[in-house]
Amino acid sequence: MVDAPLIGSYRPDDVLAWDSDGPRSASEFLSEAINLAGVLPDRPSVLNLLTSRYEFLVGFAAAMLRRQVTLLPQSRAPETLRRIAVDQESCYCLTDRGEPVHDIPAVVLPAERGSSRGSWKIPHIPLQQHVAIAFTSGSTGQPTPNLKTWDALVSVARATARRLDLKAARVQGVVATVPHQHMFGLEASVMLPMQQGLTMHAGRPLFPEDIRAALAKSPERSLLVTTPLHLRACLLAGVRLPPVGMILSATSALTPDLAREAEQRFHAPVHEIFGFAEAGSVASRRTVADGDWRMLDGVALSRNGSRDSVQAAYLPCPVPIPDRISVTGRATFRVLGRVEDQVNIAGHRASLGDLTRQLLEVEGVHDGVFILPDGKEGSLSRLMALVVAPGKTQEDIQHALRRRLNPVFLPRPLLLVPRLPRNETGKLPREALRHLVERWKNESSHDL
Amino acid sequence: MTSPQRSPFELEVAKLIVEALKLKADPSSIEPEAALFGEGLGLDSIDALELSLAIAQTYGYLLKSSDPEIKSTFSSLRALARAIELHRTK
Repeated sequence: MVDAPLIGSYRPDDVLAWDSDGPRSASEFLSEAINLAGVLPDRPSVLNLLTSRYEFLVGFAAAMLRRQVTLLPQSRAPETLRRIAVDQESCYCLTDRGEPVHDIPAVVLPAERGSSRGSWKIPHIPLQQHVAIAFTSGSTGQPTPNLKTWDALVSVARATARRLDLKAARVQGVVATVPHQHMFGLEASVMLPMQQGLTMHAGRPLFPEDIRAALAKSPERSLLVTTPLHLRACLLAGVRLPPVGMILSATSALTPDLAREAEQRFHAPVHEIFGFAEAGSVASRRTVADGDWRMLDGVALSRNGSRDSVQAAYLPCPVPIPDRISVTGRATFRVLGRVEDQVNIAGHRASLGDLTRQLLEVEGVHDGVFILPDGKEGSLSRLMALVVAPGKTQEDIQHALRRRLNPVFLPRPLLLVPRLPRNETGKLPREALRHLVERWKNESSHDL
Repeated sequence: MTSPQRSPFELEVAKLIVEALKLKADPSSIEPEAALFGEGLGLDSIDALELSLAIAQTYGYLLKSSDPEIKSTFSSLRALARAIELHRTK
C-alpha cells in the first residue's frame, strides 16, 4: 500500500460535517477542498488557524492535495507564531478572522463557496507524504517540530477506531470539545471521523449547554471527544445530554470516580487515550475497568537507554514517553508520574526549563523560575513563578509572558522576590524553593 | 473607567470569580469595567468553563456560547454581574 484515500467510505450525499450553516455533504467537501487547493499560494507550509473544525479540514485537505505541510502551533500567542514563522520562513496562514499574524501572508476563509460539483472521485494521498508538523516546546526555546506523515495519521485513526469498536457501538458522528490544532484533537476529531465516514460537528462546544446543543444537532449516539475538565463540568452542572454512543477523553488522566459517574449519567462507555504530540495517540483504556493502558495495534513499547519509548512502523525512530511508566505486560503499562521537568497543564505539555528560559528573556527579569506546586487530586494545577525583577510590576511581567506563552502556562501566582535561594553552585535546590513557597503561603494565608 | 465604584452584587460576583479560579487577588481590586479575559485579569477558556460552573451552582444560570450576548457577558465584572442578575434562577 503506497497511498490511502483522503476520506473514508462516504457516499456523495452523506453528511460529512455540520457547520454553523447546516449540513455539508461529502461531495460538497471534496469540491470545496479541490477548489481551494487550486487557489492556495505556492508555498511549502501553511499555518492553519481556522476556527471551524470543518473549515480547518477543508484547508488541511487542500494543503495535502498541494503537497503542503500544515503547521499546528501550540498556541496562538503572538511570540509562538512569530517563532514558527521565522523557522518556517516561507509559510502562509489560513485564517477566518482577517487578523494579521506577524507579517505572514494570509488567505482568509471561507472564500466564495464554489458551486461547482466536480466528479465524485476521492483523491489518494501518498503514505510517505509529510502532511503536518505538530510543535512542542523544546529545551532550546525554539518550538520543536514533530513531522507527521499521512501514514502516521491514517494508522492512528484506524487503530483507534478498531480499539473503540465504533461500528459495534453504532457511532455515526463526532462532537469534540478539544481544539483541532492540538494533536489529540487532530487525531480524534478530524482524522477519526473523516477516515471512518462519520459526521463531524464543526463547532468546539465549551459550556455544558453548548455540548448538549452540539450533540442534539449531531447523529444520535455520537462519540464525544473531550477532556476530564469538560466531563466534570457536565456532571456538576447537571446537564442532560442527548444519547451519546461513547465518550473519549484525553489530555489528562480521568479519575475512576469521575469516569464511573459519567458512564452512569450518560449511559455510555468512557474510554481514554494516552498520547503525546511527538508520537500521537499510542494507548487506550476503559477507565472504570482498566488501571493499565493497552497499546494501540501497531504500537510497541521499547526501552531506549534509560527511557521507556514507543515505536511503530510509521514513526521514524523510537519516541521517548514523557511520563514515567511501569511496564505491566507485553503491551500494557501503568503511568507512575511525570518525568522531572515535564508538566501537563490542561493537556498542554511543556518543560519547566523552557518556560523558565522564556521568563528570563523578559526585559527587566534578572532571575526567575517556574515551578509546579503540589496539586490536589482532581483539581487543575496551575504553574507558579518566582521572579526577581527590580522596578517591574507583576503586570509588566505577565504582560510580556502573555506574548510568549500559551495562556495555560501563565503563572498563578507570579511572585516578585528580592532573590532566589540559589546555592553556591548557582542551582536552585528543590527544598529551598519549597521552603520559600511555604513561607509565602503562611504569610499571605493562601492555599495553593 | 466610567464608574469605579462596585455595587454590593458586583463585589459578590468578584468574590465568586476569585474563589472559583483560585486567583491570588483581592476581590475588591477587580476593576468593574476592566477586561476579565486576555489582558485585564488574563483568564482563558478553562477559566471560563470553571467560572460557568460556579455561576450555575450559585445562581442557577447556565451559560451558553450561542447566546448572542455571551461575548459582552464575559467582557467585564460589571457585565457579568448584570447578566447574572438578569438570568439567575436562585
